[in-house]
Amino acid sequence: MSGRLPAVVIDNGTGYTKMGYAGNSEPQFIIPSTIAVKETAKIGDQATRRLAKGVDDLDFFIGDEALDATSYAVKWPIRHGLVEDWDLMERFWEQAIFKYLRCEPEDHYFLLTEPPLNTPENREYTAEIMFESFNIPGLYIAVQAVLGLAASWTDRPREERILTGTVIDSGDGVTHVIPVADGYVIGSCIKHIPIAGRDITAFIQQLLREREVGIPPEQSMETAKAIKERHCYVCPDIVKEYGKYDKEPGKWIKQFQSQNAITKQPFTVDVGYERFLGPEIFFHPEFANADFRTPISEIVDEVIQNCPIDARRGLYKNIVLSGGSTMFKDFNRRLERDLKRVVDFRMKTTIELSGGRLKPTPIEVKVVTHAMQRYAVWFGGSVLASTPEFYQFCHTKADYMEHGASICRHNPVFGTM
Amino acid sequence: MILLEVNSRIIEETLKQKFQNAEAGLKQESVSILAADFDGVKYHISNYNQDKSKLLISISLNFFKELKEHGAEELLKREYGSYLTTPESGYDVTLLIDLDKLPSNKEELIKKCGMLKRHCFAAVFEEYFRFQQNGEVGRKIAVIHYRDDETMYVQAQKDRVTVIFSTVFRDSDDMVIAKLFLQEFKDGRRKYQQAPQVLFSHKEPPMELKATNARVGDNVAYITFVLFPRHTQASAVENTINLIHTLRNYLHYHIKCSKAYIHSKMRAKTSDFLQILNRARPDDKPKEKKTAKGTTFKQQ
Amino acid sequence: MSSGKQAVGLQPYLDAVRRTLTAALCLENFSSQVVERHNKPEVEIKSSKELLLTPVVISRNEKEKVLIEGSVNSVRVSIAIKQADDIEKILCKKFMRFMMMRAENFFVLRRKPVEGYDISFLITNFHTEQMFKHKLVDFVVHFMEEIDKEISDMKLTVNSWGRITAEEFLKKF
Repeated sequence: MSGRLPAVVIDNGTGYTKMGYAGNSEPQFIIPSTIAVKETAKIGDQATRRLAKGVDDLDFFIGDEALDATSYAVKWPIRHGLVEDWDLMERFWEQAIFKYLRCEPEDHYFLLTEPPLNTPENREYTAEIMFESFNIPGLYIAVQAVLGLAASWTDRPREERILTGTVIDSGDGVTHVIPVADGYVIGSCIKHIPIAGRDITAFIQQLLREREVGIPPEQSMETAKAIKERHCYVCPDIVKEYGKYDKEPGKWIKQFQSQNAITKQPFTVDVGYERFLGPEIFFHPEFANADFRTPISEIVDEVIQNCPIDARRGLYKNIVLSGGSTMFKDFNRRLERDLKRVVDFRMKTTIELSGGRLKPTPIEVKVVTHAMQRYAVWFGGSVLASTPEFYQFCHTKADYMEHGASICRHNPVFGTM
Repeated sequence: MILLEVNSRIIEETLKQKFQNAEAGLKQESVSILAADFDGVKYHISNYNQDKSKLLISISLNFFKELKEHGAEELLKREYGSYLTTPESGYDVTLLIDLDKLPSNKEELIKKCGMLKRHCFAAVFEEYFRFQQNGEVGRKIAVIHYRDDETMYVQAQKDRVTVIFSTVFRDSDDMVIAKLFLQEFKDGRRKYQQAPQVLFSHKEPPMELKATNARVGDNVAYITFVLFPRHTQASAVENTINLIHTLRNYLHYHIKCSKAYIHSKMRAKTSDFLQILNRARPDDKPKEKKTAKGTTFKQQ
Repeated sequence: MSSGKQAVGLQPYLDAVRRTLTAALCLENFSSQVVERHNKPEVEIKSSKELLLTPVVISRNEKEKVLIEGSVNSVRVSIAIKQADDIEKILCKKFMRFMMMRAENFFVLRRKPVEGYDISFLITNFHTEQMFKHKLVDFVVHFMEEIDKEISDMKLTVNSWGRITAEEFLKKF
């Protein structure tokens, strides 16, 4: 039976959990990774405090329902991508499986994701919960960045489906640049950029606050977010872009209409320069963040330059975007152009320094954008988990029972289909 | 969540979103969703002939053929009426919803679609409840292979309907917990007089199934529900079916939850033990002693 | 240190374990006599007979007993935990496996129990050099005290869980 039913793919992120069945192009549920529990007594340490008596343990909510629940303590069991509270995580999964996905876990294989640099112990704990509590028949724990690469295969011919590349994963909280060679993350070279979706929203919010007066203050955040999602794009050159707006404001300045949540009065906002200035903070972080001034293109270059020399060409050639904050139009083009400039400049210096004796082969820089970018990690998981090979690479319950949880420390790379 | 829900969230949420879009006059995107449900049920939500305004919701049940013998088709016709269409290939029942011609009561339609699996299942119960109420005794036992290795039997008698589930525990430890749980089901009736009588047997099928070739084995359990006329009368039918068709999953769900709970207890105790053990370690770093002024003594 | 069939009260049993263990924890650094530059717990490799002490079994009754095997540089303590019925058996099995999976954090916990027992601790001279001996003994005794309590507590939980599960379901009819 297990072979026929689709595998379950769950991507537990810090902010949102994406879950659904393999073979779909989008996750069926995207819910906040949060759980609302009742905390009984105030004394004792956290663990004993939470140990309710028996079935009271089932009195909890996850996701949006958790955020709406009153008189419950709302907890976020995942911090910085890593599971911190296993008790809560186990219960989160419990409800995710039985209430949301509605499946008998004994019938489905599972693909879960982990952040790069997850600890092997965490993998063991995950396996322990999955195999012992839920009796799942098979488990595969995939690295998010690798799934991001796999997601970019959709629009490509078969021979280009490789697992070497640089993944730029930008969600709401943080942006990672992760080099992957042959399916293995080069952990020592990962870099984080403290600029992501939330910062863009805040920046737009600030710009609007200075100019627009009609927005109700309590709705200013969501207005900024909606504007970001609907109207923002990346421009090749801000000076020229300013010129365009000044010359033909009618063409470029957009209107955003919304409604006051309380008075139900409609209000309109002019959307001007923030259309391109919002995403621009990836390339000019100093606009929004005084402490961080390195543009994303330079960070990507640094990351690749830190990697082993024989991997670098492959990493430049396949830069893959993943996550909602990379969805801006022309983000890939701008990044590609800026990065190319850095690389070409280095090349030129080399040639000059050698007095023309060295003629290196030009480095190909390519930033790949694809249709499944928003939920790239989940989608990559969905693609991999619907291949027949997936079942061979999973750790099965029988393996687990025979060898113990330590087998799940390593999950073989697969996917060169 | 103590009782399992009977409706499929995936169907409901997809429809809700589609209906909202239709109401707001937004352009509909094409859709293709594969989903599963308990008991090996699969759903497929797609567009009819690439027409984005026409939705198909299909369900496949491995045991639909058996349900058909017990009037599943009539029941579905009653529930879904004109929404029914020829089943997609590979699926057993298909509903067609035209997003341009939605009824005024959308909520009801959403709910109805979410209950697709439940309604398929209901056929056999409704039929046998009817037999009992009408006194049509002596019918054959209905056998539904609702999962590959698990079977459900329904039998109508003059004063009762007997529903027997066989369920398999793949993990022998689960069997031990299950036995404990089922014992409680058996005893539970003492407290709740209105509840049906529950019996269970381990390894061997109960007497009623002597004639059938029911499974025998260490990991098999049989749960017998004896439903009385109180449960099978028209006003109670819906509730009885909602409960009884989720029983198997309810049991398995709670066994898993109790294991999860044991896990968290073990985590708490283990960290407790660790604390005790760590007391045996002398503090490596002697605390820096400071004077009131904040200067420290250091050995020269 | 009787191995009589009669059940003994918990306290005398624990006292006996405490005394025996304290006595056995007289360890010293000892290099292998067989392989040069090796230093292994002798109680595990059992390379030379003269380094091993006679193992002691302290039993409270047939099911609950402790095996203490001493040697020149290491002691192995194995505990058989009371398991009255099937459910206690699986709870004990689960719990011990759970702990042994986290053996790294427990320093003195052996990843596998000695045959016939549910859990084993291996204390070497390196442990006794770094940790307080009496506190180590405290830990083992505390463990024995608590584990029975914990398992019967878990059993109660499972029972009550089952009861509520059944009641909630039947109530709805």
